[in-house]
Formats: sequence, C-alpha cells, structure tokens
Amino acid sequence: MVVCVLIPRFQLTVAVGDREELLGSPAALAPEPGREARIGEVSLAAEAFGVRAGMPLGEALSRCPQLTLVPPDPAGVADAWERLLVRLESIGAAVAPERPGLASFAAQGLVRLHGGTLERVLAAARTALRHPARIGAGPSRFCALAAATRARARRPQIVLGDERAARDYLAPLPVALLRGRDETAALPEALARLGVETLGELAALPRSDVADRFGAPGLLARELAQGRDGSLRPREAPERLEEELELPEALSGAQLDRALGLLVDRLLARHERRGRTLRAVVLAATLVEGGTWREQVPFREALSDPTRMRLALAPRLALLPAPAERLRLAVVRFGPAASDQRSLLDEAAAERRERLREGVRQARAAAGPDAALRVLAVDPDSRVPERRAVLTPFE
Amino acid sequence: MRGRSAGGGAGLTSAAVRRHRLAAPRRARVRADERDGRPLLVDGREVDAVRESWLVEDRWWSERPLRRRYWEVVTTCGRNVVVFHDLREGGWFRQR
Repeated sequence: MVVCVLIPRFQLTVAVGDREELLGSPAALAPEPGREARIGEVSLAAEAFGVRAGMPLGEALSRCPQLTLVPPDPAGVADAWERLLVRLESIGAAVAPERPGLASFAAQGLVRLHGGTLERVLAAARTALRHPARIGAGPSRFCALAAATRARARRPQIVLGDERAARDYLAPLPVALLRGRDETAALPEALARLGVETLGELAALPRSDVADRFGAPGLLARELAQGRDGSLRPREAPERLEEELELPEALSGAQLDRALGLLVDRLLARHERRGRTLRAVVLAATLVEGGTWREQVPFREALSDPTRMRLALAPRLALLPAPAERLRLAVVRFGPAASDQRSLLDEAAAERRERLREGVRQARAAAGPDAALRVLAVDPDSRVPERRAVLTPFE
Repeated sequence: MRGRSAGGGAGLTSAAVRRHRLAAPRRARVRADERDGRPLLVDGREVDAVRESWLVEDRWWSERPLRRRYWEVVTTCGRNVVVFHDLREGGWFRQR
C-alpha cells in the first residue's frame, strides 16, 4: 500500500509568504529568471480564469489581465520542503519525494509501528507534518496520488485492494490527473481533443493505438490508468551541510567571486565532511529585490579541490538575475573520500589514457556522439584524396 | 559539408561515412586558360605559378567513372592550392 501526501500549491504558498491574501486573488508564480517564460503554480482564483501552471506567460495574462505574478522562491521552497520531508521521515517512513508538495511512501512496514492499522499510519503522518495536507493511499503510486487529490484536508481517501481495485477506482476519474506526473503531464489536452475524457476510457484503448499516437508517455499513461505503476524510490537519508554568507552590499564581479571562494573554503573546512569529496552542490542567493535564486551544480567528477570548485561555480554567479544580499552553498551529494594515493607502478600512460577516455565521454555527453572522432586510414595509397581516410568514433 | 562531391569520387556510400569523409572536394571558382586548361584565377586569387599537374582516371570499368585533371598551384598570396577540373561532368573543385 502506497501513501501519497499532497500539498496543493506548495511552491506558491511558500513564495507568497506573509501575503496570504494573494492566495485568494488571481495569482501565479512568475517564470524563473533565465528560464522559459511559463508561469508556475497558480491560485484557485486564477484557475477560475482558465490559467494553469506551465502556461506561457503571455497567454496567462491575456486570459486574466489582473493576474498577480509572485516572484519565485526556489531556495525557500527547497528549505520548507526539506523540513516537511524530515518530519515525514520521523515516523519511520522511507519517503520518495516526487516534487515540492508531493511525496509518497510505502505503508507496509509502518502499520505495526503505529498501532496496527493504516488509518493510524496516516494519522501519524498528518501529526508529524504539522501542515495541512491531502493524504491518499492506494495499491499504486498513481492511484494513491489520485486518492490524495480527491481527499479532504482532514479526511484521507483510501483505496483498498489490488491492481484491479486501483483500475476500478481510477476508471471514472478525469485524464487531467495525468498532469500529476512529469512524464505524462502533456497528455491530458491531447487526450481530451480525441474525446478520451476518463482514465477508464484510456485504459480500454488498444496498446498499439496508444503507442502509435503518443509513444512512450502514452504507454505509461495507459499503464497508470490500468492501476499499474513503477516502484517507489525512497531518497537516501539526507545529510545537511551548508554555509551561508551575508553580503554587506550588492556585490558583483570579482568581489562576488571572492565571496564564493570564502564559502567554498568554509564548506570544505567543515569537519562533518570527514574528508569526503563533493559530487553536487546547490548555490542559492537571496535577492535584494525579494525572491530567491537557486541553481544545482553537479560536478563532472567528485571534487574536494577548492580551486576547481570555484572554477565550476563562478560561471553560475553570472546567472544571478539581480544583486544578492545573501549567498549560500549547500552540499547535495557527497562523493567518495578524497584520496591521493600513488600507485605502486608507474602507470602514467594508463592514467593519460583514462583521462583521455573521460574527456571523450564528457565531450560526447555535451556535444553528441560526433564530438570526438579519429582519423581512420581506409585506403591511404588511393590516388583519389577523399578515399584515403574517414573520421570514425574515437573508440 | 559545403558544396557537392564531384564525380562520385569517394565510392563510400553511407550517409554517415559521407559526413565523416576527409578531404572531400569543395566547389571552387576557377578561371582557366582556354588553350591548355591551366588555372589563372582560383577563388578570386590570381595564380602565380603552377607547381604540378596530373591526370587521374579511375573506375573506367564502372558506370560511374572518374576523370579529373589536377593542378597544384601557388596563388599570389603565397597559398598552395590543389584544384581539379572534373572532365566528365565539368566544374572545378578544390581539395586541400
């Protein structure tokens, strides 16, 4: 049995902060600076005007001219979401976060811990959250999500049974529920145009027809509608390590780089790191104009060298949409412990080859399979020059 | 790859191989002497000297024979250029 916790408009609620009256009026999250001009989550009042999350900004404003755009607060959302996940984990749940405001966990192992019934597990989750949430439970992730969307704030919805029960439960529900999954979010409009209004109608369509028309997302949607879904992937127990720096004035250029350098040095000096390398970090800033900015930076290889970390992070600072008053650097994933062991034998050539291979892999990842090629002599003695050699993949 | 291949020269047919072929002929603007065919002007550059000329005839037994008169010339800017005249289908190409 999967339990789904859904907090509608979570990102908008966090971004609005104390100005809660905005949630009662047409409001939407403004597009993030430097990203595609599409709005984020929208308030109920905005939905009444036909405005939906993910809609192009121009279309949203033409549908609802009085729409208030709220600056996004990705760093605040990440913090608030992390706090809620930790609270959920405090009841013993292995939580699989889907996106801010939506998380699932398996209930099987928790039933005996919390009094022997599913209802008690759900009650424990609600108490731990200390935040209004809709909770649903069902045999599959998607079924639990559907149940959560139909649940009331204080009354969870539970679908008991197996795959068939999930299918029966989902059958009368609208295909718009598929928007809850990133992979199938684009399908509901196309399905509605074809007259497929409910998940039951989608589940009854021949598999080959769905594959022809919608490809892999269509097949996934059909599976979901039939009560089947992938397994949960709970996150690993998080380890919080971060450094923050308040900037005395709006810094830019070399000064901002120096502030970043200081953050990197401080982070690497923390004893909680225990000599481990860093595989991914989050660079976040609180902007002077309000709102926040957040950028996750995965390193190409796990690092513990401050110079290389600065080299990788400095270009991201150029993406800051406005002057920052606070800069923060947090570890997302650790790598293996840093070691600089010398090999017993001199393996310089093997090391060079390995570095070359790694370089080729990175070039291909960035620019496609033709990024690294080598010259292959096909007919070197040919009198026709273009027959002598061709370019072929490096390895 | 800019320009088209001349005279079916490569004999390598797959698209990927064509895309990755080295030294593929590129069309050139050449003005030649009408008497002996010697290039006088290559891509707007005057030819200072002809270093060498040779004839390539190949695949005469097939349906796509190849017949080219190659010229290695030095232009007035000092550049060494190899051009050829496609004797079957016409047109000038450079190949270096």
